[in-house]
Amino acid sequence: MAYTTFNRTINDQMKEPMFFGNPVNVSRYDQQKYPIFEKLIEKQLSFFWRPEEIDVSKDRIDYQNLPEHEKHIFISNLKYQTLLDSVQGRSPNVALLPLVSIPELETWIETWAFSETIHSRSYTHIVRNISSEPHKVFDDIMLNENIMERADDVTRYYDELIDSFNLYNLCGAGSHTVNGETKSVSLRDLKKKLYLCLLSVNVLEAIRFYVSFACSFAFAERELMEGNAKIIRLIARDEALHLTGTQHMLNILAAGEDDPEMGEIAKECQQDAIAIFQKAAEQEKAWAAYLFKDGSMIGLNKDILCQYVEYITNIRMQAIGLKSIYSTTQNPIPWINAWLVSDNVQVAPQEAEISSYLVGQIDNQVDTDEFDDFDL
Amino acid sequence: MPKVRLTSGVELEFDSQANLLDALEQAKQPMNYQCREGFCGACRCTLVSGSIRYLYEPLAFVRKGEFLPCCSVPDSDIDIELP
Ligand code: FES
Ligand SMILES: [Fe+2]
Ligand SMILES: [Fe+2]
Repeated sequence: MAYTTFNRTINDQMKEPMFFGNPVNVSRYDQQKYPIFEKLIEKQLSFFWRPEEIDVSKDRIDYQNLPEHEKHIFISNLKYQTLLDSVQGRSPNVALLPLVSIPELETWIETWAFSETIHSRSYTHIVRNISSEPHKVFDDIMLNENIMERADDVTRYYDELIDSFNLYNLCGAGSHTVNGETKSVSLRDLKKKLYLCLLSVNVLEAIRFYVSFACSFAFAERELMEGNAKIIRLIARDEALHLTGTQHMLNILAAGEDDPEMGEIAKECQQDAIAIFQKAAEQEKAWAAYLFKDGSMIGLNKDILCQYVEYITNIRMQAIGLKSIYSTTQNPIPWINAWLVSDNVQVAPQEAEISSYLVGQIDNQVDTDEFDDFDL
Repeated sequence: MPKVRLTSGVELEFDSQANLLDALEQAKQPMNYQCREGFCGACRCTLVSGSIRYLYEPLAFVRKGEFLPCCSVPDSDIDIELP
């Protein structure tokens, strides 16, 4: 049925499938088909943090002292993460909300996407601090081929789903000619697009972030860029939860009880699923090569990072019932786990920093002439 | 004290450790983990036989036959397989 923001059909929400049933009317949580989504919401809310609470002022000095090739590694990762969270801050809402039929899942999606907007804001917090010309960092994202190449794969499945659903919503199933272009849509095809989209999101949150995480923590192991590492730990904790949310959706769909057709589609899509994982892993390995093109950093090089990508790709594939595709079975950088543990990731109150303006927090550590080219 | 047997042949006793992940780490097993709180799923292992008890309900998705050592303790002697 066509999307409406408040569906007037009186329905039993407990009998709706997760997606493509009736649009949600009353947001109620007194009865829940899948209580896990409310638990995820509660957990996500308990994780709430604000970028401004993390003191990143020492990072400015650390960054200035980094050799050029390490600056490249640091800033490129930040740009890539900015791309990923730009997409994640809006796409689950735009693509998935119109398709959802149960309120606890709808609210989980909104809570999830909201937390991504915190990640986006934290990148500006970091960049403003390390650079007197933050605009140059952000402007370059759209011009950087290596990032744009990834943007294609990160957004493709969302965009195809949105595009098809718009047509279906307006014209229904069948073949339609719009602006001289003939396209056909069916509910089954939409379900397939949704399943592939969720897989691609799973890959984004489960694999694509981790090269960057590893580099951030490798700097922090040397006591460099520690404010950044603190933020990345908070982001990694959120991402682990998002990943779990998406794994639940994928596994519920694949089990087929929620919607038997979805179960069939999941089986049908096995090869596509493997291909999506593989392509992402290969792209991330290429990204590692780009990062280290001018030199490695202490504790990390391209080969170790590539092995790590293979290792987490295997784990993520197994989690959704796929066979692993790489022979790597050991984590080549076991020290990363200590950084990924979520306990004591809380910001200590004495470290909290209230000012939203970064000039305030660095002015007693940097000579005044440093501000000559500092434009606010 | 429940025994924990791994398919690799390693055997350990579970005594006062907080959870199975701690016990396996103490026995120098290469464990995957991230959150250590049952929400990320990184520590998933296969429970071959015996039973475990969760200390609290984990949020991570657990497939049939799998369990999360970071938030569970053995309820009997168990046989497990690491990924
Ligand atoms: S370490 Fe996260 S679920 Fe066990
Ligand atoms: Fe994010
Ligand atoms: Fe995320």
